[in-house]
Amino acid sequence: MGQYLPVFALLVLAVVFGVLSLLVSKVLAPRLPTRAKEAPYECGIIPGREPPERFPVRFYLVAMIFIVFDIEVIFFFPWAMVFERLGLFGLVAIAIFAAAVFESFVYLISNGALEWGPIKRQQRSALVSPARTAETTIRRVGLEGRPRAAEEAA
Amino acid sequence: MSTLVPAFAAVFEQTSEHTGEVTGLGFPLLPVMVLCPLLGAIVIALLPKERVDVIRLVAVLSSVAAGALGIVALAQFEPGAPGFQFVSSATWIESLDIKFILGIDGISLFLVVLTGILFPISLLASKPEHDPKGYYAWLTLLEVGCLGVFCALDLFVFFLFFEITLVPLYMLIGKWGHGRRVYAATKFFVFTMLGSAFMLVAIVSLAILAKAGDGGTISFDLQKVIASQANLGTVTSRLIFVGMAVAFMVKTPVFPFHTWLPDAHTEAPTAGSVNLAGILLKLGTYGFLRYGLQLFPEASLYFAPTMITLGAIGIIYGGIVAAMQQNLKRLVAYSSVAHMGFCVMGLFALTIEGVEGSVLQMINHGITTGALFILLGFLYRRRHTYELAELRGIQKVAPVFAGVFTVVMLASIGVPGLNGFVGEFLVLAGTFIAHRWWAVVAAIGVIIAALYLLWAYQRAFHGEPDEANRTVPDLDWGEKLVIAPLVALIVFLGVYPKPVLDRIEPAVRRVLEHVEVSTGRELPSSRKGADLAPLVGDGHGASHPPATGLDPGAEAEHAEADR
Amino acid sequence: MSSLAVVLAQAPQTTVINLAPGAGTPAADPNAPIPTPPVLWAALLPILVLGIGGLVLLTISSLLKKGAPRGFYTLYTVMVAGLSMAAAVPLWAKVNGWTKIAWWDFRDLWWQSLPTEAGPFSTLGQAIGVDGLSVFLILLICIAVILGSLLSDDFLLREGLEGPETYALLLFSACGGVIMAMADDLIVLFLGLETLSIAVYVLAASHLKRAQSQEAGLKYFVLGGFSSAFFLYGIAMLYGATGTTNLVAMKDFLSRSIPANNALLLIGFALLLVGFAFKVAAVPFHAWSPDVYDGAPTPSVAFMASGVKAAGFAGLVRVFVVAFGQYAADWQPIVYALAVLSLVVGSVLAIVQNNVKRTLAYSSVSHVGFILIAVEAATPAGIQAVLFYLASYTFMVVGSFGVVTLVGRVGDGRHSLDDYKGLGRTNPLLAAIFTVFLLAQAGVPFTAGFVAKFYAVIAAVDAGSTVLAVIAMISATIAAFLYLRIIVAMYMTDSDGRSASPVSRAERIRIPFATGLSLLLCVLTTVGVGLLPGPLTELSAKGTPSLVREPARTATDGGLTVGTTGTEAAPGQSQQQG
Repeated sequence: MGQYLPVFALLVLAVVFGVLSLLVSKVLAPRLPTRAKEAPYECGIIPGREPPERFPVRFYLVAMIFIVFDIEVIFFFPWAMVFERLGLFGLVAIAIFAAAVFESFVYLISNGALEWGPIKRQQRSALVSPARTAETTIRRVGLEGRPRAAEEAA
Repeated sequence: MSTLVPAFAAVFEQTSEHTGEVTGLGFPLLPVMVLCPLLGAIVIALLPKERVDVIRLVAVLSSVAAGALGIVALAQFEPGAPGFQFVSSATWIESLDIKFILGIDGISLFLVVLTGILFPISLLASKPEHDPKGYYAWLTLLEVGCLGVFCALDLFVFFLFFEITLVPLYMLIGKWGHGRRVYAATKFFVFTMLGSAFMLVAIVSLAILAKAGDGGTISFDLQKVIASQANLGTVTSRLIFVGMAVAFMVKTPVFPFHTWLPDAHTEAPTAGSVNLAGILLKLGTYGFLRYGLQLFPEASLYFAPTMITLGAIGIIYGGIVAAMQQNLKRLVAYSSVAHMGFCVMGLFALTIEGVEGSVLQMINHGITTGALFILLGFLYRRRHTYELAELRGIQKVAPVFAGVFTVVMLASIGVPGLNGFVGEFLVLAGTFIAHRWWAVVAAIGVIIAALYLLWAYQRAFHGEPDEANRTVPDLDWGEKLVIAPLVALIVFLGVYPKPVLDRIEPAVRRVLEHVEVSTGRELPSSRKGADLAPLVGDGHGASHPPATGLDPGAEAEHAEADR
Repeated sequence: MSSLAVVLAQAPQTTVINLAPGAGTPAADPNAPIPTPPVLWAALLPILVLGIGGLVLLTISSLLKKGAPRGFYTLYTVMVAGLSMAAAVPLWAKVNGWTKIAWWDFRDLWWQSLPTEAGPFSTLGQAIGVDGLSVFLILLICIAVILGSLLSDDFLLREGLEGPETYALLLFSACGGVIMAMADDLIVLFLGLETLSIAVYVLAASHLKRAQSQEAGLKYFVLGGFSSAFFLYGIAMLYGATGTTNLVAMKDFLSRSIPANNALLLIGFALLLVGFAFKVAAVPFHAWSPDVYDGAPTPSVAFMASGVKAAGFAGLVRVFVVAFGQYAADWQPIVYALAVLSLVVGSVLAIVQNNVKRTLAYSSVSHVGFILIAVEAATPAGIQAVLFYLASYTFMVVGSFGVVTLVGRVGDGRHSLDDYKGLGRTNPLLAAIFTVFLLAQAGVPFTAGFVAKFYAVIAAVDAGSTVLAVIAMISATIAAFLYLRIIVAMYMTDSDGRSASPVSRAERIRIPFATGLSLLLCVLTTVGVGLLPGPLTELSAKGTPSLVREPARTATDGGLTVGTTGTEAAPGQSQQQG
């Protein structure tokens, strides 16, 4: 078990650090709350309704793409440690892997996954059925912010 | 082990050595006969559906061709020869030794001929109300299945044809039937297929369990399975027999499994009813004879009392229920239950007379009930009803029709001089030898048959015709021509059944000898003579010990001596 | 090394497989080369063709600015699958000991590096096995891809979903399926399973305009992921019990030693079975299949019901019948129960459905039960029956869903039984084709379905499970009722239309070329195999699975050294050399 001691130590340290910093800020920070401060937007305008907690789905997409390449890098590390000892076999294996991941990058770019401008290429996914169907348990999001779908539904 | 079997096998291999060739004829008779209607069906499928006349012509021609080949087989058939004739075989699935072996003996010969006669007649007797193309295509396909069943000498091929008859008849009833046709068709399909489910497992078990005696290879060849069937234990063979019997009992139908029959008959179109009653019901009894008695002699003996009881129940129950019917077609359907009860009873009496009578009864029932359904079809064409309550006084307005109906009805009742009598008498005589009291019960069934048919005749044909029945036209020439062959057969078989019996008897005797030899039990007084004279056996059979026929020569000699 | 051709079954088991980590590697030298298994690229070619084919398809579509010409993707997919089949043909020949096919002596090819002896072999540190079973299923899965992509062609155009994604996913999933079929190692099997599954999850959700499709994808994904976890846990248990994940080594271990406490082993069996049962949709792990089949785009369903099931059964047969054949008495009861439940529940629940797609989903559950009775037999005849059934079912089910695709019309939503009413009058050809497939599925003679059922029953009876065979046939009768319901709807519920009223344009369904081609292939095969079952019987009889050790390599390789090489065929099976 001795070899795992550093891991445990790190674990304990991390927890202690997190708890400590939260505690310290709670204890030391001055707290003077006002109504304006607690409002979601401190811009002076009183919101008429609850703010929609949405942001473009693109963020998720980018996050997912990032994860894919992150993982690719994670796989590169152990290979880099032993690539001399693995020889050609390892090189071919990692090349296949890298090629496959790179291909997905090409595909993403061509499909406009990283474009942030106005939607150009995504006409295919015009959503037809914004309503909640009888057969499905998935709740569709409302019509707000979807002028085209709203027109079609009307 | 049966000493007969090697003899059997020797003859069989001799004829099947030159595969595709037939004794005396230059071409494979039976495969061609089975393929005739298939060819017809394919041609019909390719014709445009507007050409109704051509379609009808093709259907009739193809079935007439098959019938003609059946008659050729009848003419070329050697009455005394042992074993199967016109055998031709072709390998189909090599690894399981499944072969397309077709061949006929005295039992299947007449069923094949009956099929060949009844199909063209039923095609001519009625026309579909709509979609003639599909109607004729399915009917011709049905004929393929029926002919195949009677000719097959391989368990697998037998099952194939047995099953394939389901689909055409299902479509015929379901699409061209009357009233609750979909219900009737589905009931028919599910009932029969349920029976077949057991039969498939039984056939497979049989082939697998019997293989131990034959060098360890699976074979579905009937001869090989018969040869190695002794490897089965008693209990196993009884179980397998039950599996097969369920299918045959549903198809025949034997008493508790009969409920699909009245529905199917009543709702089927005329040609469907004719062929269902005339031929398809025989698949069950034929199966009992060929695949029950021959494959499971011990189990057949064991279950014979049960089957005879069920047959007797069928006779009485069918008769009583038929007497209660208000629908003429339903009445005839229930009378079929009773008549098929006779067949089952005769089979399991396990006497020469009984089995012979049973085979004859199959043929007779095919002819008479077929004729009855054709006549009912004529009636429906005129009155669009089968209800007895709506029919009255037809005799007055359509005397020829009434006359023909009377003849056929009397044949169905079993009046001496007409065909029904011979079969029923033989069955009763055969049963009397083995199970006296059941024969008495069955004789009551004959009386009930007279009761319900005559009563029905009285209600429909006697009296003064009312408004609706006054304008019923009599039979026209076409209709007379269609029904004439059947009436001729009814009279001919009633007066002179000897040629038929001569051909049936050797085959039946061989089956029964096989039963005797493999069970080692003397069956009650099976006659060994080819003549009909001593109906009640008296030890005449004992003078010829059952272990005869060590080789084909001896078998033939034996037959010679008997004559 | 001297006993190169010794069959293990005959030779005493004296070899020791050394798979312990670090064994054979001198721990002292940190720079010594890590032993790597030799690679027979020719054996991997079918996998590579499919995988690389998918990648290249995506690349091409990415680089084309204006989109591909119509039909290009379909043609490409068919060609890739065909190429993969072509790559499998020499393997088949090798396994069966042929030296030439027709006039072509393939020994002159560049990959003479294949082991010179005929018969099954393994490569990649015996993680990939090439035997009759794997090659048969490569061919089958590729056929499923071809048929599925032909169906997809017109479907995607009709639904306005054109794009390379469906085809690429088909190829990737087939790649996973082929890996599963060839896997001799549980980890590789899992890899194949996931490759297959993930692609199929996306396929299920690929109809972007139908909410049900998204729902189906999500359901399939969640439940499939769940089952994968079971599967993986089962692998862990088996590793705990035997010390290896390699099936060859595992079988060796189990034949050499009898564990005093086999709890781990049994738990492993149970968990693996759960995983497989999920994949092939056997009751009680079938709940996803009706919803997914209903929601997913119909051509994808055709592939799911054929290719995915084939791959699932490949794994099931290889792991249980071959590797754990010795423990058959332990897993057979579970498979028995799965088979009975699938047969009965599948056919009974199918009857009460009013949606044809759901009906077919339940009926496919009942077909799985039928295949399971052949698996339960655990004999060579059983394996043959499984392969025959899978092959004929592929054509029947793809054909059925092909017709459903067409009748579904735009939106892929008209699948209720009412939509089939009068199809026999409005579209006689389509109705006739559908009737053939339905009758074949019901097991009517002279169709492939009948022969397949027949073989399954033979296998079951031969193995002594007569009761199971009876249950199977009775449930086949129940199932026949549901096929009849569809036939009734098509032909017999049109009483008012009897007067031959002219068929309006809207009622008439045009059969597009690619779909028609696919249907034609399916009909011809279904009827052809029914009429002449001989060739497919021979082929499936050659699909013998075997776990083969990799030939030993030179001493410098170290590591994964196996003392002897040899062939261990399925229990009681003699190698058929063709």
